[in-house]
Amino acid sequence: MNTDTVLSLKNVSKKIKGRPIINDISFEVKKGQIYGFLGPNGAGKTMTLRMIVGLIRPTSGTVEICGHNTRKDFVRAMSNVGCIIENPELYEYLSGSDNLELLRKMEPDISASRIDEVVELVGLSHRIHDKVGTYSLGMKQRLGIAQALMKKPELLILDEPTNGLDPGGIKEFRSLVKSLSKEQGMTIFVSSHLLSEIQMICDEVAIILHGRIIKTSKVEALSAGQKITWNVTNVAKAIKLLADDFGVEAVKDTEETLSAFTDDFRIMEINSAMMSSDIGIKYVSRQQKSLEDLFMELTGGETIG
Amino acid sequence: MVKLIENEILKTFYKKRIHVIAGILLVLIALFAYGEHYTLTRTQDRVAEQLGIENAEDWKNIIGQQLQDLERRLDNPYIPDEGKASIQVRAEQLRFYLDNDVSPIGSTAARFMGQFIEQSIFLFLPLLIILLAGDMVSGEVNSGTVKLILTRPVKRWKILMAKLLALSMLEMFVIFMMALFSFAIAMVVFGYSGFNEPVITGFRVFEGQLDTSAVRTIPQWQYLMMTYAIGYFVAFVIGSLSLMVSVLVRSTSASIGIMMSTLIGGSFLSFFISDWKLTRYLFTVNLNLTSYISGSFQIVEGLSMTFSTLVLLGWSFGAIGIAFLVFTQKDILA
Repeated sequence: MNTDTVLSLKNVSKKIKGRPIINDISFEVKKGQIYGFLGPNGAGKTMTLRMIVGLIRPTSGTVEICGHNTRKDFVRAMSNVGCIIENPELYEYLSGSDNLELLRKMEPDISASRIDEVVELVGLSHRIHDKVGTYSLGMKQRLGIAQALMKKPELLILDEPTNGLDPGGIKEFRSLVKSLSKEQGMTIFVSSHLLSEIQMICDEVAIILHGRIIKTSKVEALSAGQKITWNVTNVAKAIKLLADDFGVEAVKDTEETLSAFTDDFRIMEINSAMMSSDIGIKYVSRQQKSLEDLFMELTGGETIG
Repeated sequence: MVKLIENEILKTFYKKRIHVIAGILLVLIALFAYGEHYTLTRTQDRVAEQLGIENAEDWKNIIGQQLQDLERRLDNPYIPDEGKASIQVRAEQLRFYLDNDVSPIGSTAARFMGQFIEQSIFLFLPLLIILLAGDMVSGEVNSGTVKLILTRPVKRWKILMAKLLALSMLEMFVIFMMALFSFAIAMVVFGYSGFNEPVITGFRVFEGQLDTSAVRTIPQWQYLMMTYAIGYFVAFVIGSLSLMVSVLVRSTSASIGIMMSTLIGGSFLSFFISDWKLTRYLFTVNLNLTSYISGSFQIVEGLSMTFSTLVLLGWSFGAIGIAFLVFTQKDILA
């Protein structure tokens, strides 16, 4: 296998009490990538992440981290991983620094000075000697990131990392992730249910729905095509026109509006075609594609609920 | 591994579990000592009244009479040799009281320490250990911190092993506290005394009969060492069972609740022990190990120190085995 591959999942499935939860997932994360793992809540994101870090055994399939199978060589595989799975649950009755010290002792070699370094990095120096029980959610999140970064991992796994962060914190977090990737060449695997989140920080993305990967692609490729809404005089005619002349499938939203996914450069063509077919256009609007829209597009209307 | 054990001990101390246990111990030992002291004074008065002597300090006369009586019986040719052995031991004990001016009616620091462990070994001590061990694993599952430690590059069995070893050290610490506190409190209430006093031990049940042929006396301090060591063994057995339950269930309260109800419910079954043979394989009816050496047990065919120890060991190893099997395989879902 490719030495550039930091994380690879091959045909990973998980059944719980006979019920399939994760079906035959495969993807690869290359060194230095920021890889997004996108899906609505309940799609199996956290379950997959737990299988990657060895909290759950896959029913079948293999997970390899830096070439080490997590089942056969757990210790070597995990010594390359820093992670936060779901909420950053730490020992509430210990101070932040005691938490880090305790976890440091479980890793092969992290210098004591490294702790101060990561605490500084996540901006928690002033409260690090207070009990974690007194921290806000945002501070716990920061401490969680500190413990994951402590060992300078080859692969950083973050599960919904912006949950509970305020807008300022989210911005800070994004720049931290980008700098880790750029300056330290760290590979980052981040899950989210927010498309915009993934679009802003990731290079590549795997999209999961109902325990299946429905698409893996470059993030740019994903962004191509936005949702365009037309408010017109004759919706039915406009839909037919889009389908016949442009091969674009449009959906009737209300009595007066329809929407479709298409690229910028085609909008003008479509508009003039509509006008020459006597369809009056009141306005045209363009929307950032939401996760729902993306799923509609990818699954052809399957609901995500 | 040493670091892992260090971590586990640290967690228990920071959680203030040890503080709670120390507090309970102090309060209970103090109450026990007060009660003991109070009853003692009452008994002494009553005994004095019954015997028509001025005060209980006249115990020397009573013991002297008892000793003479025993010596007379030793000369009796109709008493079998093995019977004589036990009389000899008893006489030896009485002679010690007279020679060393120690009242057998009164209480000494040493006797108090012995009584405390004898009284707590089958219920109170196990309850403390359950408090200590019940949340070792379930507590971490409950709070989610289990995800932190299981995503480190450390094999799962090592993590559980560290917990087990840390637990056995903490158990030792609890026993040590028990001894220390009861010693300190007894010193205050009863004064330093009685550590060289002989204690009768060596009873055995053989073919349904009390076998006194091996009966002998040992000094009280030695007896105390034995009982507290046995206390540690019981603590270890209960600790491994609690650890297993703690691995099996997710919540700490469930884990502690299950162990406590099993312990208390199981001890009721000891009522049926002589007729319902199966009950003697329960761990709860075998906890009262000190009664075998103090000779204060009811005679039940087939129950002996060896039997009880083996039964307890069986439960302990079984529990540890299950705990490791489940913990290393388990999916951490919550």
